[in-house]
Amino acid sequence: MRAGLRSLVIAAALLAAASASAALRVVATTTDLAALTTAVGGDLVIVESIVPAGIDAEAFESRPGDLDKLRQADLVVRIGLGYDFWLDALVVRVGNKRIMRGGDAYVDASAGIPLLEIRGQGVVNEGGHAHGVGNPHYWLDPEYAIIITASIAEALVRRAPEHRDRIVANRERFLAELRTRLQKWSEALAPYAGATFIAYHNSWPYFARRFRLNVVGYIEPKEGVAPSPAHLARLISLARTSQVKAILHEPYEPEETSRFMAQKLGVPMLKLAISVGSMPDARDYLALFDYNVATVANALRARNP
Amino acid sequence: MSGISEMLTFLALPFIASVVFVLIHAYLGVHVLRRKIVFADLALAQLSALGASVAFANGYDVTSPAGFAYAFVFTAIGAALLTLTRNLARSVSQEAVVGILYVVATAATILVVDRSPLGAEHVKKILVGNIVTVDVAVIAKFAALYAVIGLLHWWVRRPLLSLSSERGPEGRSRLEVWSWDFVFYLSFGIVVTSSVATAGVLLVFSLLIVPAVIGFTFSDKLSFVLLIAWSAGIAASAAGLACSYAFDLPTGATMVTALAGFLVLASLSKVFIVVDAERRRARLQRAAQTAVVAAFVCILVSSMWLIINPSGDQPLLALLERATGLGSATFLSSSEGDTYESAARDIVRFQDEVDRLDAMEKSARYQGPPLADDEIRRIASYQQTFNEMTRGEQFVRNVLQTKARTRERWIIGLPAAIIAIAGLGLSTRWFSRRRRGEGDDHSTYDSAEV
Repeated sequence: MRAGLRSLVIAAALLAAASASAALRVVATTTDLAALTTAVGGDLVIVESIVPAGIDAEAFESRPGDLDKLRQADLVVRIGLGYDFWLDALVVRVGNKRIMRGGDAYVDASAGIPLLEIRGQGVVNEGGHAHGVGNPHYWLDPEYAIIITASIAEALVRRAPEHRDRIVANRERFLAELRTRLQKWSEALAPYAGATFIAYHNSWPYFARRFRLNVVGYIEPKEGVAPSPAHLARLISLARTSQVKAILHEPYEPEETSRFMAQKLGVPMLKLAISVGSMPDARDYLALFDYNVATVANALRARNP
Repeated sequence: MSGISEMLTFLALPFIASVVFVLIHAYLGVHVLRRKIVFADLALAQLSALGASVAFANGYDVTSPAGFAYAFVFTAIGAALLTLTRNLARSVSQEAVVGILYVVATAATILVVDRSPLGAEHVKKILVGNIVTVDVAVIAKFAALYAVIGLLHWWVRRPLLSLSSERGPEGRSRLEVWSWDFVFYLSFGIVVTSSVATAGVLLVFSLLIVPAVIGFTFSDKLSFVLLIAWSAGIAASAAGLACSYAFDLPTGATMVTALAGFLVLASLSKVFIVVDAERRRARLQRAAQTAVVAAFVCILVSSMWLIINPSGDQPLLALLERATGLGSATFLSSSEGDTYESAARDIVRFQDEVDRLDAMEKSARYQGPPLADDEIRRIASYQQTFNEMTRGEQFVRNVLQTKARTRERWIIGLPAAIIAIAGLGLSTRWFSRRRRGEGDDHSTYDSAEV
């Protein structure tokens, strides 16, 4: 009897201890935000992403399991800018006010980001996607990770104030590593400043700005609409006059047209990682840039050594 | 001149590819129409896509021999299922089975792709396709493959054609029917599997069905049907490709539309041209009468719509305004008109500003001193402001247009409605009187013949 009581008390104490130190469950919409949250949260967080690696987040269809993830979430991190628009409907279904816009467990990572290509809705958008409030691919500028991780760290501290120091230290460690690598990346691409490219979609403005590249045109100007031959002909003559060095291709798009253009122009087609996990080498946020920078730099070096 | 030569260098290969496609698909289309299984191509193509996705999920490249083997096995399974369901035709239409096969194969592909997301682009490719980027090697491969299948079909044309005909499998053993059906479906599956990957589902379906339908419009004799189908298919492909280039449109969708246009032309010429003079006259008359009545009905409906809801979209009125150059401004006071016009000018001006900032930021990405984050933020907020102002001017224009339309509702809507009603009444009465007169003519003609 007494032994039973004692074991019960111990079990209860253990449970309480476990729940106190239990990791925060964070749901990020994309793998990139998940990677950055892991970098900041370390072992304080269990991070899941809603969109699997390598899937086009703008064409993503959610499933019942996503509701489950959100129901258990202590924190939600999203890209915003309409990129992961489907999250709103999911959160409404879950009905937890804290993970809705304005809630204390909600992070819109686009807050404070200097956005590019702000165009009004209804204006013809030659850049592809329905980018109403600016181009949403801002995580592809590694320096913006400083801003993004700040938003994430702030929210994590809000949810777990007792771990403030560890979160801040994690972030500092990550940013130190990021800065060292950023230096390397910039050096690797510095000799090719102004190099010209054609991209399949308009996914690379932030990447291009950070590394001083020039994306002159896009193969598929409207999402899901095959380019017209006249558009391709214009693009080819534009590419010739601006001496395009390579075609940038998103891994989840069909390759035919990109390969065709590459062949016509006699330049390589480079499959770049658009998100963590979309190419095998892009295992985490830093590896994504290692891979993309190396791919671009190698291609450019091969063309003018 | 350079435009045309550039167009030719760009469209020569796609055109050759579409000729190759038309030759085999229009022929198979004849079979498909006779067998009444028009969606079988979609089902087989989707099954092969499922095979490719399964191959991908198991770690094979789609273009590798293993990838091809998977796609082939799945197509063969589809062919076998279609073969076995011929006997269902008595109780349920085979078309139903074909539809189920297609939907299930599509759903299964989605499920497989969900497990191996990196294969998603192959599914996308099959849906869209892009005939513009076809290269010589691919065309040569297709031509060889289709030649082999075409020869095979020519060699065994007798059993294949009779099994596709109305009479069906009379006087043949069940095993014989099954084996010929399987040969047909398997070769059919191989053809559409290969073509769908290049041209996309929509175009392949149209190339298969539309030329054959055009052929059957004019003849029942197989050789004529094929000749007509082939020439119509090739002409429509050429027209579609040319339009796609000239008007800057996606190629596959334009070619599908061009094929449909040829079908409409063919039906019209069947009705109005390939008939004797008297019937042609009668039909032209009836068509003209129908057009007059339809025009009056359109005017009546849209004038009623203007009266009921002047602030709604007014497609016919907008068309009229564009054609006459008399816009909504005509019905505004001069100060209102000025506001209306200046709002239009401001919209252009604001959007020019947005574009100018965009261009400035874009060129600073790679030349000159880079813009600091705060400068980017400032540009972004300017752009946002200009976009808001554009929306504001747009709102002003909408309000003024509604105001003008509310006035037009009585000045234009009411008279137009009265004219349309009067026109409808007069024309239908006149037409029916004429028809009665003609009917009398015919009866005398008939009695004279007797």
